[in-house]
Amino acid sequence: MIQTRNLTKRYGSFTAVDTVNLNIPAGEIYGFLGPNGAGKTSTIMMLLGIVKPTAGEIRLFDEPYSSKRLDLRRRIGMVPEKHPVGMWTWMTAGEYLQMFAELFSLEEANRRIDHLLERVGLAEVKNKKFSEFSRGMLQKLSFVRALLHDPDILFLDEPISGLDPFGVKQIRDLILEENREGRTIFISSHILSEMEKVCQRVAIIFGGKLMAEDQMKSLLTTLAKDREIHVDLEELPAELIAKVKKLKFVQDAIGAEKTLIVKVPKTGDYRKELSKYLIDQNLVPLSIQEKSLSLEEAFVTITKENINLFAGIGGEK
Amino acid sequence: MNQRAHATSVLAKRRILETLISPGYYVAQTIGLVLAYLLVAGFVRAVDSSGFNYTLNPAYELIGRSLVGAFGATFVEKLFSEGPFLFTLYIAFLPVLLYLAVSSVFRFGLEKKVGALELLTYGPADGTSYFLAALIKDILMTAIYLVVLLLFLFIAGLLNNLILGPSFYYSLVILFFLSIAIYAYGIFASSLTDNSASAIAVFLGLILFFIIIMMGSFTVVSGYVRNLASVLAWIIKWISPLFYWDLALRFVEMGNWGMYFIGVALLLLLSVVVLFISHLTIKTRGVRA
Amino acid sequence: MKVLRISAALLLLLCAGVLFADVPVREEQFIYSILAFNGKDYAGTFARKDADTVYLVADVDNFLTVRNVFVYFWPITQDWKTDTSALNIPFEGTLELSGREAEAQMLGMIPYTYYNIRGEYELNWKVAKEAEAEAAWQHYQELMDAYWQSVSAYYEKRALYEKMLNELTVTITKLRDAGNDVTALIDTLKELKAPPEPQYPTEYIVPPVPIQKAFILNLPVGEYQIRFFTQDGKIMEGSERRIVVFEKRRAEAIGLEVIPGDKWTRPVESKTPSSVLYIDGSTDLYIRPFYQQEYNDLFYEKMRKNDAKGNPNLMKWVRIQQVPRARVEVTRQAAETRMVLEEPFYVEQAKGAALGYQIVPFDPEGKHKDREPSLQAFHIPVSKDQRVIRLRVQDKEGQYLPSSERQIRVITPSRIGIVSLILAACPLIAMIIVMVRRSRRYTS
Repeated sequence: MIQTRNLTKRYGSFTAVDTVNLNIPAGEIYGFLGPNGAGKTSTIMMLLGIVKPTAGEIRLFDEPYSSKRLDLRRRIGMVPEKHPVGMWTWMTAGEYLQMFAELFSLEEANRRIDHLLERVGLAEVKNKKFSEFSRGMLQKLSFVRALLHDPDILFLDEPISGLDPFGVKQIRDLILEENREGRTIFISSHILSEMEKVCQRVAIIFGGKLMAEDQMKSLLTTLAKDREIHVDLEELPAELIAKVKKLKFVQDAIGAEKTLIVKVPKTGDYRKELSKYLIDQNLVPLSIQEKSLSLEEAFVTITKENINLFAGIGGEK
Repeated sequence: MNQRAHATSVLAKRRILETLISPGYYVAQTIGLVLAYLLVAGFVRAVDSSGFNYTLNPAYELIGRSLVGAFGATFVEKLFSEGPFLFTLYIAFLPVLLYLAVSSVFRFGLEKKVGALELLTYGPADGTSYFLAALIKDILMTAIYLVVLLLFLFIAGLLNNLILGPSFYYSLVILFFLSIAIYAYGIFASSLTDNSASAIAVFLGLILFFIIIMMGSFTVVSGYVRNLASVLAWIIKWISPLFYWDLALRFVEMGNWGMYFIGVALLLLLSVVVLFISHLTIKTRGVRA
Repeated sequence: MKVLRISAALLLLLCAGVLFADVPVREEQFIYSILAFNGKDYAGTFARKDADTVYLVADVDNFLTVRNVFVYFWPITQDWKTDTSALNIPFEGTLELSGREAEAQMLGMIPYTYYNIRGEYELNWKVAKEAEAEAAWQHYQELMDAYWQSVSAYYEKRALYEKMLNELTVTITKLRDAGNDVTALIDTLKELKAPPEPQYPTEYIVPPVPIQKAFILNLPVGEYQIRFFTQDGKIMEGSERRIVVFEKRRAEAIGLEVIPGDKWTRPVESKTPSSVLYIDGSTDLYIRPFYQQEYNDLFYEKMRKNDAKGNPNLMKWVRIQQVPRARVEVTRQAAETRMVLEEPFYVEQAKGAALGYQIVPFDPEGKHKDREPSLQAFHIPVSKDQRVIRLRVQDKEGQYLPSSERQIRVITPSRIGIVSLILAACPLIAMIIVMVRRSRRYTS
């Protein structure tokens, strides 16, 4: 669906995006992560055709893409981080959407608008000036605007930034729902816990370079140095930790209240052995869970240690 | 229809609607019409048995003396030879011209800075269709106001047995095209800058510069000022809308209608060139602040 | 007491300062004295040392001389003047003129005179140079000599006539008293006629001036440079000047001199061809159409007075001469068009302590016998109920003169305040309507 090849953007002597190669298949929820100034926005702007690349090429829907390709731009929807402050305050939600519907020359625009507003729960405020909308309502309205012309790809830039938990859930549900309908969704966000919940594939950009790109699970597995097994016990005897440490498959063990946390090598599943040992110690494991590396941890690992998975594992895609 | 033209028309409709439901345009019109009323009423009070005598009305005395001091007695004589309406036209037009021009420049800069312009370009619109929409709005609003002003002055004339002379009509036409050129320069200033304050500063600076050069070469005071302004004027005149405005008025004074319309056409051409440069600028700089 | 003394002393000093106010400072300067033709007559000005340019009308004779005079700035009229009574040293030499031609010309001073002869038009200027100037001056001298001689002869004849009249009267009285028949003598008395007064020569409106020498510049349009060479061939320092020669842009337009009945000594001029004359209708108008020509405002003003100001980007109409034997066609609303001819009028002052006057038709045979008319003009009666009066001027052949159409409109100040203010507020009313309607669309 979206491919870039050696995509580069320089601003004078500063390289914002350095030979980035992306390959986003259709129908995926693709997370694009990176710290501030990593080159995320520049990349997105190039993919949207708003900023011209210094070098490299972009292909959308298997066709070369530039800002002049209005036919391809019509198949993209974009939800920016923030609705432009103070703009179009005189318009109602309906008028605002009507303007974009007209820009895209949509047929039966009113019906489409009503349907989408209904979906996001904003039908009752169609004739309300959206200057009176809350942050969450504005974000949902932005979604509706982006979906008006039924795009194949949806770009979301920090879609849940500044939302309350209820708003976050609503947006998350929307994203998943749109993806179920076959839309490819490209998300750029700092809120990694949310990205972990929705993204199927992630890419991590740092210093303008693409450091990692893989399926979520594979990436976390690749980056994890070891595994952690969390065992909840009725009680945690003081001498238990020292004994567990002596087990040959245990790298380290710590206790946290009534939970025993054991680090084991990431190759191999040692839950059975550990469970057997604890039972032999007359202890009853209430639950045994394996805790994998979180996306946040993976992100920090990559960016802090400047790990480039393309240089190491996997190679260029 | 061409995609840019379609986007322009959609955006233009919204801009026009926005202007029509906002108080600013109406307030500017009212200010202009009130000024027109004051100037016409003052003129009527300054007429005696031998004709118009500006010393008979305090406001006109101030205006008359200032203009005589700056531009000479001949200038004032010609300005009021057909009555009050030529002078009134220029003064009454200023509030609306300033409002439309400055608000468009301000808006352009603001929308660029907050990302509204970028938002529009996620779809089929681009920077050029955006500014063309603003221009269409300004032209239409200007035309509406000129019609309103014409009607107002016509009625005021009827009430006082004053007549709208030929100078008034051909100044009205040239003023319309002059305003287009001024709006074009506003767009140019906005395309060069990233925010409202800078855009307004560049725009007002440009216009003031053109005015100062024009007035400097027109003034009767200080030969040095006039000489310097004349040298600058010779260089600047080709890009100054006031030059073509002055050219057209001179030709029509001579009864040379052909050259008057050529002056009008040149003014339009200047606008097109400035808009084209703005198009290239915005294409190069992009729509992001 | 001490404070009082100091204040009094300061006051005295102040008064003294006023008493010894600045006297204009005269400076000896080399100047060009200019006698330039301005389209209607010759008028003099001068270019002082700081004036770098001289302005002249094209294709007419203009006269330049160089001299040393005192120049001073007169603050009351805010202009520069010369004091030729104290110092006036003319220079003889040659003038180098360069400009349009490839080579510079050297001009010498030429004797000249100029005069204006009576003809169909009031202004018929002639310039005579060299031998012609001598002849013209000579002719004028002879004309004047003949006139003064005839005046002397007249006085002699007059004296004789009065003597005869006196003697006859005395004789008639004596003989009548003696009872004699004096009929024959009375007849003789009746037949005695006074000698006619000699007529002042009417050949000239402006007689020839005494022959002078000057550099005569009759140049086509353009820019030139001059400098003065003294008799020993040296360039006079500070004599370089630029000459701007200009011409009229348009001619044959008609202007109107408008004399209001209540301010007959303060006429105004309507020069712009499309101009409209707005009046309050309180008095009749007396108009005089004139020919006018259009010149560059700055050039023309500086040609008339070298240190004047003007606007280089404006053209102004300059009155040249009255249209001779014109007729004015007057058209009023709902009335027939009629022709108005030029007539003489007399201004009669109000008698007694009352101030004011009235303008009445001149009656040379009646109450205004032996007087001259106060003005000759076209009378346009005006009243407040006549909103529009249209004028058009014809020449002596009955042809309409171009750009002579004018409108006179009587202002009717009405209660426009309320009406116009309401109209001016219409946009605000529209705004309120729009905003109310718009607000109804919103849901809160």
